[in-house]
Amino acid sequence: MSSITLDAALQAAPNPGERALEHFLAAGFRRIEPAVLHPASIFLDLSGEEIRGRLFLTAGAAGQELCLRPEYTIPVCRAYLSSELAGKVAEYAYFGPVFRSEAEGGERLQTGLESFGRKDVEAADAEIFALSMEAAAAGGALSARLGDAGLFDSLLEALDLPDIWRRRLRRGVAQGRSLSAILDGRGQSALAQPGVLAALESADHAGAKALVEDLLAIAGIDAVGGRTVGEIADRFLEQAALRSGEPIDAGKRAVLESYLAVSGDPDEAAVKLRRLADQAKLDLEQALDTFERRNGFIAARGVAIGETRFSAAFVRDFDYYTGFVFEARDPARAEAKPALGGGRYDGLARHLGAGEDIPAVGAAITIDRLPFAGAR
Amino acid sequence: MSAKTEDCGPFVIAVPSKGRLQESTAAFFARAGLELVQGRGARDYRGALASLPGVEVAYLSASEIVGQLAAGWAHFGVTGEDLVHEKVPDAGSRLELVAPLGFGRANVVVAAPQAWIDVRTMADLEDVASSYRAKRGERMRVATKYVNLTRRFFAKHGVADYRIVESTGATEGAPAAGAAELIVDISTTGATLAANALKILDDGVILRSQAMLVASLSAAWGTGARVCGRAILDRIAASEQARHSREIRARLPASARPIIEDARERFGAEQAVGEDADPQGFVALHCPHGRAAELANWLLSKGAERVSVAALEQIFDARNRLYEALERRIGRPDLTLPKTGSPF
Repeated sequence: MSSITLDAALQAAPNPGERALEHFLAAGFRRIEPAVLHPASIFLDLSGEEIRGRLFLTAGAAGQELCLRPEYTIPVCRAYLSSELAGKVAEYAYFGPVFRSEAEGGERLQTGLESFGRKDVEAADAEIFALSMEAAAAGGALSARLGDAGLFDSLLEALDLPDIWRRRLRRGVAQGRSLSAILDGRGQSALAQPGVLAALESADHAGAKALVEDLLAIAGIDAVGGRTVGEIADRFLEQAALRSGEPIDAGKRAVLESYLAVSGDPDEAAVKLRRLADQAKLDLEQALDTFERRNGFIAARGVAIGETRFSAAFVRDFDYYTGFVFEARDPARAEAKPALGGGRYDGLARHLGAGEDIPAVGAAITIDRLPFAGAR
Repeated sequence: MSAKTEDCGPFVIAVPSKGRLQESTAAFFARAGLELVQGRGARDYRGALASLPGVEVAYLSASEIVGQLAAGWAHFGVTGEDLVHEKVPDAGSRLELVAPLGFGRANVVVAAPQAWIDVRTMADLEDVASSYRAKRGERMRVATKYVNLTRRFFAKHGVADYRIVESTGATEGAPAAGAAELIVDISTTGATLAANALKILDDGVILRSQAMLVASLSAAWGTGARVCGRAILDRIAASEQARHSREIRARLPASARPIIEDARERFGAEQAVGEDADPQGFVALHCPHGRAAELANWLLSKGAERVSVAALEQIFDARNRLYEALERRIGRPDLTLPKTGSPF
């Protein structure tokens, strides 16, 4: 099914995808062609049920739910983890079809890079970004946007917000929602149960647990299911603590607002972010050092850093990104989906069963979104 | 399916092949004077309408019916609204929901363990699902056969940290069996859920469903099919309107004319046989059946000595609103160009 498109694309030289692949191979990356079929649960676990409608699903002989790969990163990472190189340095390049129901004909060509195991994080970030931008340039110049999910995570950590709000902010910002939409636009929670919350005001975990046990006993409920009594008690405690006031005080909210508004030249952004951290007395030292070092490496790779744009609010909508993120699009089609996207995803290997995080950074180029794709 | 001839049938109605839904559907058609005649014995999956030759009745499962309608292989079908919205993503552009039938009522609901006393709304669920994943590195599992309805509803409420576990039977047992943490399922009274120690979230009703008469927009709507469709809808409209109406008769001391307009405004009452109020004070009105008693009392207060309220068998109207609505979707037949042979 893929062969027609792939063959046609390969015959029509010079093809931007093929040239990109050559560029990657010349840089020392090894070509990899991972399996087409994968357990659907892996993609659904990582990206959520939202993507189910875009997957081509099928079933194995034993009834297990399989899907055609909708992208390359997870398949390449799985191939890497099951190889003898797992945990060591390995760098791969790929070029082939991915399968998405929204694509014309159900498939589109992608080429890209995945780098695993490198400890020189900022240099690896810069190399992947620079190589993919150079390769994509074969299909026309793109304008790039950079972000840093690790920096944003450090800010949320430094602000010492309740876990639930940290997760909501991370997800909301990733989805491109405004701060007020995230903080103010929530549905009504049941925990307008003033009686229970008042009884919990000065309780500790054990006390709350005892109360929940009593409540369940009174209601004649013996089977709990899914969650423990302790978890239910903890949530009551969390709500009781939040009840006293706004979940995020005005000062922290102002810091978040200023942070998310930072955008523009990456070097200038670094200065602004340092000033913001100083004024708010937040320790973002490590994340900011990483940010600045990476900018330096990108410039050293010959990418004009001043022509890229940094946006603090850009963290990409996949929660396995843990650091540097980037995307680039046809400047003539600013509203179109990015032709190039990537970032650092150290947490993915653990999600896929590696037992520990493995440094990883990659980029993918979607051929038909390149400016000259139509001319191939 | 059978070959489609140029202008005339076959007209296919797909109806449920078993259980309460089949019985209720047969009763519904019988009430409209359209008796379903099943072929040789109960195991035959083809039938006919006693009073409308040329109409083919296909006995299928409720979910197959949706597929047949979406594919245009059946013109009309009786199936649950839940299945329409679950199985046909663009239901609005491929199907016309002609009329709710008043039976097969059930809600598609989100239900969680009763023990989750801290969870009453979808906002709570969003909270808990997010914590659950952060804590365990796994998403909360939702057992359901309504994969699409669940996905749309959860997305609307911002719940993202969940996984669907497809379940085709005894879904309500999934949490107790440890196969899922919560469920999305059909529920009529909530009793089955309660028996499984589950509760419906306050804002967790995804869809209030009932059996529907559904028309396919992509079926072959030739002249013959339109004649059949119109004839069926005439009778259904007549019995449906009758079912929802009561006839009220009374004699008033003076002219009834001033009363009629008032009765229309207050009770939605229409004159039983059109615009011709009897000046002698005799009124015969049709009104929505839920308002009949009120209207009767009101007429007593206007001086009537006796008011009778009667159920109706059928009301035929010169305008068939069900068919008019369908015709708006399938387009009027082009009467200006008589059919000629193919130019090729």
